[in-house]
Amino acid sequence: MKLSFSPKLSTFLKPSSVTNLHRSFCSSSISSPPPTSLKPQTPLFLKPPIHSAASSDLQKWHDWAKSLASSVGSTFVDLDNGPDSTLLCREIKWLMEDAIEEESEGMENNQRSIRLRVALEELYMLWKQRVEERRPFQYVVGCEHWRDLVLCVQEGVLIPRPETELIVDLVGDVVLGNEGLREGLWADLGTGSGAIAIGIGRILGTGGRVIATDLSPAAFEVAGFNVQRYGLQDVVELRQGSWLEPLKDMEGKLAGLVSNPPYIPSDDISGLQAEVGRHEPKVALDGGINGMDDLLHICKGAASMLKPGGFFAFETNGEKQCKHLVEYMENDAGGSFCNLKIVPDFAGINRFVTGFHK
Amino acid sequence: MSSFMFRKRASSGSWVVLCQNPEAKTQFVPYLLFSTLSEPQPTTLNKPSKPQNLSNSIENKRILDSGSSSFSLKTSKTLLGSVHNHTFSRNIFVSGSKPLALSSASGKNITGSHCSPLSSISFGSQRRGIWHLSTENRVLASGCGVLVLPMVKSLYSSRGGLAPCSLGCLFGTQAAMEPSTCDGLTVDRIIASEWLILDEDESDWKSHAAAIAQSIHLIKKRLQWKKLMIRLDLLSAEVNKPDLWNDPVHAGKISREHGSLMGKMKEVKAFERELLEHIDMVKLAREENDGELESESMNALLKMRITSKEKETEALLAGEQDPCSCYIEVQSGAGGTESNDWAAMVMQMYKVWAQQRGYKISVVDEMPGEIAGIKRATIKVDGEYAFGYAKAEVGVHRLVRISPFDSSKRRHTSFAAVAVTPINEDASAHVQINESDLRIERFRSGGPGGQHANTTDSAVRIVHVPTGITATSQNERSQHMNKASAMAVLQSRLDQLEMARQTQMNAQYSQSLTDITWGSQIRSYVLHPYRMVKDLRTNYEVSDPDSVLEGDLDGFIMSYLSASLDKDEDDR
Repeated sequence: MKLSFSPKLSTFLKPSSVTNLHRSFCSSSISSPPPTSLKPQTPLFLKPPIHSAASSDLQKWHDWAKSLASSVGSTFVDLDNGPDSTLLCREIKWLMEDAIEEESEGMENNQRSIRLRVALEELYMLWKQRVEERRPFQYVVGCEHWRDLVLCVQEGVLIPRPETELIVDLVGDVVLGNEGLREGLWADLGTGSGAIAIGIGRILGTGGRVIATDLSPAAFEVAGFNVQRYGLQDVVELRQGSWLEPLKDMEGKLAGLVSNPPYIPSDDISGLQAEVGRHEPKVALDGGINGMDDLLHICKGAASMLKPGGFFAFETNGEKQCKHLVEYMENDAGGSFCNLKIVPDFAGINRFVTGFHK
Repeated sequence: MSSFMFRKRASSGSWVVLCQNPEAKTQFVPYLLFSTLSEPQPTTLNKPSKPQNLSNSIENKRILDSGSSSFSLKTSKTLLGSVHNHTFSRNIFVSGSKPLALSSASGKNITGSHCSPLSSISFGSQRRGIWHLSTENRVLASGCGVLVLPMVKSLYSSRGGLAPCSLGCLFGTQAAMEPSTCDGLTVDRIIASEWLILDEDESDWKSHAAAIAQSIHLIKKRLQWKKLMIRLDLLSAEVNKPDLWNDPVHAGKISREHGSLMGKMKEVKAFERELLEHIDMVKLAREENDGELESESMNALLKMRITSKEKETEALLAGEQDPCSCYIEVQSGAGGTESNDWAAMVMQMYKVWAQQRGYKISVVDEMPGEIAGIKRATIKVDGEYAFGYAKAEVGVHRLVRISPFDSSKRRHTSFAAVAVTPINEDASAHVQINESDLRIERFRSGGPGGQHANTTDSAVRIVHVPTGITATSQNERSQHMNKASAMAVLQSRLDQLEMARQTQMNAQYSQSLTDITWGSQIRSYVLHPYRMVKDLRTNYEVSDPDSVLEGDLDGFIMSYLSASLDKDEDDR
């Protein structure tokens, strides 16, 4: 009986530069360790394959992990809309993808040893954390696949959501026929892992730049790591600080402004899915009483930051916040915005507000 | 030594006989060399020409016929000259190439006086001219220009003028279409002769020739030769339309298909001519008692015989889409866990089969069953001819066994349906998809989403609203990648739909294999009470189900492909 996980490790996305970047990052961090303890953790898939296990032992782990996943059934779904067994089983597959060094061609005998990026014991521990502590899978493996990127994430940094991918598409649509925007200066406020900033940095023209801000030191470090991994140091500039504060010198200069600020109403935080409520940073989720504290704060500043014709896109909690935001921009923002639009995500929830500065 | 060459002058459409060697002493037969550099043209130049004696006029012994004319068969009947006193000569330089033996086979068959199958061709009133080429020898030729026959010319055009010349081929009933040897032997006649086919190591030219001729026959049948010709005519007409390129996409499609059909037909025709040439050579060598030439030609025939077997297999995969990569989709039938388990076994069978064939596989979409197996799964199979082979698997697969999921150990019958979709790499051949026709949705979602939810599930379903066709991807780790993967599946499904629509339009060219529906039951896998896998289409069967389920499918695939292409004699 073959290991059922053996086929298809190569679908795993690896930008060709990744390994090299990683190496240079690692070696530089070894020679001159960063001053703080905020050094980003190396995600599983970038760890060196210095461990090994017999394939039969790995098979044992796999069977154990699967039975643990199956025992969950729909318990988490019923509890807080968490993952079901099917999803957890797929995560096992991905965990193996990240943990096992890609096998060379040619099947050897069943007793062959498999090279691993973590010790087998740790693999047991990681999966236990995933199921029993509801630790988010992305923290377990230290990365999140987002668009065509693999972004490193860790505790203290919000895991970028699939919905947020669309912000990059929205920006892509507006820069397509607009050189001013394509070659302009953009800002991503509360960048977290750097996802949006990197996504946008890769679709702008050669003259385009992105400034990404974040208050959290952990996010600042992790975003820096991700920017480096994609070789965008010259395109994406990171500035530590709250929202627009680090951008005082950019007033009236921005071609675009995007953000996915915390938007969950404070009252909802306690009832969040365990993966989110127990593990992700509250500071990246809690948007105040009605969830709109930060959105409104950013909107207020947007008019002064954007140059004429500049574009903005913000993610919200849904229909209610979208409407509220549009209303605010039409009435209270002194008519400085036009072409306001509400854009739904793929689940059909009105998720984004976009528009232009007059 | 002497030799004669007919030379056609493009301007007049006339043929002349050239005597290369004025010192020709005794007997000779005209060696008619047509070295054409162009394809047959449809123009008919049917005017009588003046016989001209151009003896000695050509120094370099190169004969270039750059013109062409297809005379009607009626005219060609008047051609025959009577040639007395034949001999064979060798070492004539053709088109500046190395010396080659030239043959028009045994002279008797082209001489009017004693040709048997050709004797119906009349002389007399239509005879155009008799040329005196030397004092001692006369060549009678009549009906100038008739020697221009498409196959003779293409013979040279395809072989760069190096081939030995066979001109006796002018007189068969299908002379204008079918190549033949100097004595009128065609592939069909070889088959009709029912020569005994011996082992390959038996040095018998007739046996080799018969084997090769049968292969050619089979290849033509597999290529659906007649339909191919009809289609080619249609395409040629289309290609010649002056306004073709007003629609560049359509024009591209048409000219690509035209080119590919031409290529296929040319290859077979060239192979056919090669066979006939070698037969001529063998005969010539025998007459000349040239042992070296004979063994050379015999070896060439043997080589052809071996190649022809490869070509037979190739011809099984001659469909336009056959070289493509493909998606294989397996869906479990009704019946719960046992059925889901069967679907997973079928999918596993294809995974192993594809791996053994050296194809790269990736899972696009997989919907597991509650307890075991899969409800549905799609894999992408990357590699040459993946579709060509896998298309033979389309249909419903049936399993009979004692179900391991049934505690009372009863016998169960379950079904799994297989669909195969080619992936057309040529983006210009893709059906255009309007973004506005698409509805993209999260496959499974609930709750407020966004920051509220942490999920690794980013499955995407894309619905093409006008056709209702959907594609799902859930095995990628990001929504963006799932969307791209689902888009690719959707594209190939729409391409296939369009293909089916066009195929229906060209009903006379339709292939049953392009039928993409899930189809009817094609194969039965019985594990209990006896053990057997049987294909219901071909009756091909294997008594070891395990080997089949471990991916040993080629026997089934090849037998189906040949059966589906070889069945209909009229389709040739």
